Formats: sequence, structure tokens, C-alpha cells
Amino acid sequence: MSAVRKGPWNAVLRRTTRLSPSCSLLVFERPEGFPGAAPGHFVSIRVSDSTTPLLRRPYSIMDLTGSSLSLLVKAVGRGSAALRAARAGDRFDMIGPLGGVPFPAPAGPEAVLVAGGTGLAPLLFAARSWRRARLAVRTTLIYGAATGNELLRDLVKAAFGTYRFATIDGGAGFHGDVVALCRDLVSRGRMPAGTLYSCGPRGMVRALDEAAGSHFSAHYTSLEEIMACGVGACRGCTVPVRSGGERVLKAICSDGTVFSAGDILWEEWEE
Amino acid sequence: MKARDAAFSIGPAKFRNPVFLASGPAGYGTEYEELIDLRRIGAVVTKTVTFRPRAGNPGRRLWETSAGLLNSIGLENVGAERFFAEKLPRLVEAGARAVVSLGAEGWDEYRPLLDAAAAAHIVDAVELNLSCPNVDCGGMSIGGDPALVERYVRAAREALPEAAIVAKLTPNTADITILARAAAEGGAHAVTAINTVLGMDLRGPGLEPVFRRERAGLSGPAIFPVALDAVWRIARAVDIPVVASGGISSVEDAEKFFAAGAAAVEVGTAIFYDPGLPERIVDALEARGAAGPPGAKPRKRRKR
Repeated sequence: MSAVRKGPWNAVLRRTTRLSPSCSLLVFERPEGFPGAAPGHFVSIRVSDSTTPLLRRPYSIMDLTGSSLSLLVKAVGRGSAALRAARAGDRFDMIGPLGGVPFPAPAGPEAVLVAGGTGLAPLLFAARSWRRARLAVRTTLIYGAATGNELLRDLVKAAFGTYRFATIDGGAGFHGDVVALCRDLVSRGRMPAGTLYSCGPRGMVRALDEAAGSHFSAHYTSLEEIMACGVGACRGCTVPVRSGGERVLKAICSDGTVFSAGDILWEEWEE
Repeated sequence: MKARDAAFSIGPAKFRNPVFLASGPAGYGTEYEELIDLRRIGAVVTKTVTFRPRAGNPGRRLWETSAGLLNSIGLENVGAERFFAEKLPRLVEAGARAVVSLGAEGWDEYRPLLDAAAAAHIVDAVELNLSCPNVDCGGMSIGGDPALVERYVRAAREALPEAAIVAKLTPNTADITILARAAAEGGAHAVTAINTVLGMDLRGPGLEPVFRRERAGLSGPAIFPVALDAVWRIARAVDIPVVASGGISSVEDAEKFFAAGAAAVEVGTAIFYDPGLPERIVDALEARGAAGPPGAKPRKRRKR
């Protein structure tokens, strides 16, 4: 057996907090022996003892300290419903940390992080990690949600130097999505240059890269997909990317979750 | 009480126990090193390798169903050259016992693949994937034809005379025992039953097919009764061992397969959600002190 173990862990839920109508914060006790993790890594949780739903559910790590592991869970389907219904003291079968390439640290003094919805989780982990490592980096978060009451403001305020909000309904911050806000900031000369980090729906990330990618020295994005094994074996979560002039399929779970957005062959990557 | 040895053989190949990881979900095996103790598993049946590398299918590849999983991976693999040079040696180094799954789109691809396997020298057990539903030709179109099954098995026996040859059968046929008999006739040392069951799903407001190829392969607990029925009937139709595969999700399921006449079991989709299951089945076998798998030894029974 490999020296490092990735579980399965018997993870105890320490507390759960409803942060918005659709989003909950789940804080687990860090299982004994749980290895270190980097932003963009994830855990995969068995949400029920039954076989429906069958697969584990992958969640980006939002924070990992010596004693706790935090996840952001948005109501989507059966898996998230089971997690959101859990109470302090409940135990979950968890594997992780999973993932290959995490978010690299910024090469320069400026980092812009663009989050759509729960795409906030790995970006929050990134900002917290850089702060703990005392990196000299200014962080600007651009964060969008459908409505004002879906914005997780308290989480954001503590973690980022500067933040801007966008809401589809105009209930808070910029009226529109994060891509429109980024386009607006770039056109008005108000967008810092530097390294761009993103996480959110596929359409958002693609549009963001097309609208603003060239403004930045690099654009790293953490991708999401339905996963089965989580370790690169089943080839169920592949994304076509350019690599050394060739088209190759990478497994999001084990080759990512972080990719250079400019390498992704969006037109070939079907939903 | 000392747990007794659960070792067993398929033809010339010996295994420490009759609990395998199934081809497909198992990948190249080493992906699971941090979750499963591969040295405790009877064998890892590696992801099907084809002579040339395959990119696999475009579009969605996985879809969850009630107690099941539809997949349309399309035999994505690194090809024979890289498999035998990199993936297989790496798995053996990790202390695992390998059964190599071979697949082909046709005879022209199959011959050079057998030659590559023979040249690798470390292959002493193969499982012929004559039954993948997710490729256009080859796979199921070979595996559904008893004459072709026999021919492919015979060719493998000739090319790999010292290896155990196992034929993996498709359930997408009227009578799987006909395919099992054909495999035995071709000289197979064992058959594996079953590969995935054809299925599909629709999604979205327009209820469109989930998969580009429309049809996909169903695995998981939903197909366990189908697999159990196949194993039961094959075990009573042929004299060669049956390796049971299809929907195992508990130690009890494994016991049912053994009771139905299986000589070994493969755990596939369950390792996605319960990677500890294969080792728990090994534990149960060892605790029972069985020299071999438990259950009835079915007598071959011919109709007519």
C-alpha cells in the first residue's frame, strides 16, 4: 500500500451553517492522517448508505486547517440535499484530498479571482493559503450570484483585499454577470493586470477567457464535472486540451482540477 | 483459528484469492494505490488495451441512474506500446497481480495486439473484452457472434500458449450460455460474465439522449440480478470456471455469486463509491477459512 492514504475517511461533521437560501457551509473535523491539500484539490463524499444516488459527490476544499475541513454545498440535486440535511455529529465516508494540479501561486504582485456561485470555494482556499504563506500579493475578487441574498458576503470580506459583486437581478453590486463586470472593468482601465484565477460554470469560464483572458499574464481555472472514480482511472471526466501542439484528453480529477484556460478546446468539450 | 489460503487457479495462472478489480473501473490499477491495498487483491483486470491508442468517445461519458451508472467511455486507452512498456510494469511493481484485458475493433487489430502481448513476456493471464457496447465495430459485435468468440479465443490460446485465457461475455444476447460454450470450445480457461447491459437515458427539457452514441453500458447494483442469472446458467452449461462480474455492492452479493457457481468475482463500479469493498470480500473469504470459494458446486447439466 502506498505510504500516503487518501481514505476512505470516516469524517465527522462538526457544524453546518446555512449561509444563503441555497448554500451551506459544512465544517468537518479533519480526519486523523488526512494529508495536506492545495487550492483546487477536492474531496469526494458518499452521501448515503444506499446505492441511490450511487456515486460519491466531489466538492472543492474551501479550507483545510490542522483541525478542520470546510466545504461549500449548494442545493443542486439528491447528493447535495443529503449533505445539507446533515447535522453536527453525523459521519460521512469521504476520500481525499484528490486532484493533481492545484492553483499555482501568483507570479507577480496582483491576483484577480473570478467566482461564479460556489466556484467561490477553491478561490477562497487560494486566497487564504497565500495569506497564511505571507505571499506579497494583492487579491481582487470578482464574484457573481443570481441574486443579492445568494452572495456569501461574510466569507468574502475576511479573505480578499478587494472585492466586487455582480448579480443577475441587479440586487447587489454590478447588474449583470461576472463576465460583463470584468469586461466593464477592463474597458474602463479599472482591472488590475497580473494572474487570473477562476471557477464557475463552464459557460462563464469560457466567456471570461474570451472577454478578458488576454488582459492577464495567465488564466488558471478549476473545472467541474460529474466524476466516478475521482482518481483518473475511469476516464469519465475528461476535457480536451492543447498540450505541446497536440490535442489530448486530460482527466479533470487527476490531471486538474486546474487547467490553463487558454489550453482548453472549448468547442470540442461538450456538455 | 488461522485463516486458510484462498488461492486458486484459472488454467495455468495462480491467484492469491478470487477477488478481482473489474476492467474499466480499475483503470491501470495504480490510480487506486492510495485507496486500495492492491497486494491484497486477487488481481487487477486492467482497463482494456487496444493495439492503437484510442481517444474514446466525445460528449458526456457518465450518467447516474437508479442504483446504476451508464457509461460511454469508448475504450479510451494508451495503446499496446505504452501499456506494455509503462502501465503494466508499473502495476506489477506496485505488487499487484494483473490480468490484462485485450480489445480489438477487428481481426486486423487483434493479431498485432496478441503479438504485442506475447512479446511483453509478463502477461500470463488475459481477459478478452469481446463485449464492449461502446465502440462501433469490434467489442459487442464480435462478442455477440459465437463463431467469432470461438475464433478470437482460439487465436489467443495460440498466441499466448502459456497464459490463462478468459473470455468476457456480453449479456446483450438472447442466450449467454451459447457464447460461453463457444468460448469453451475455443479453448478458454474461463469466462467472465457479464459486461455492461445496454441502456440509455434522456435529459433536459427536450428529453434528448444523454449520450452522443445514444446507447451506453449500464453497470452497478441495478444489473446484479442480471449477472447472477448469467453466472448461474453458465456455471451449469460449461465445465470451465466462471468469473462473476456485474453489480457487486456488498460481501453478501459476492457470496451469492459464489453460491451460484462462480470461481471468482470482480468488483467494478462499487470501487467508485466503496473502494474498501474488495478487501472486505477478501477478509470474509479468509475468515471463513475456505480453501476455495463457498457455495454449491454446480453440476454441468445439459438440456436435451
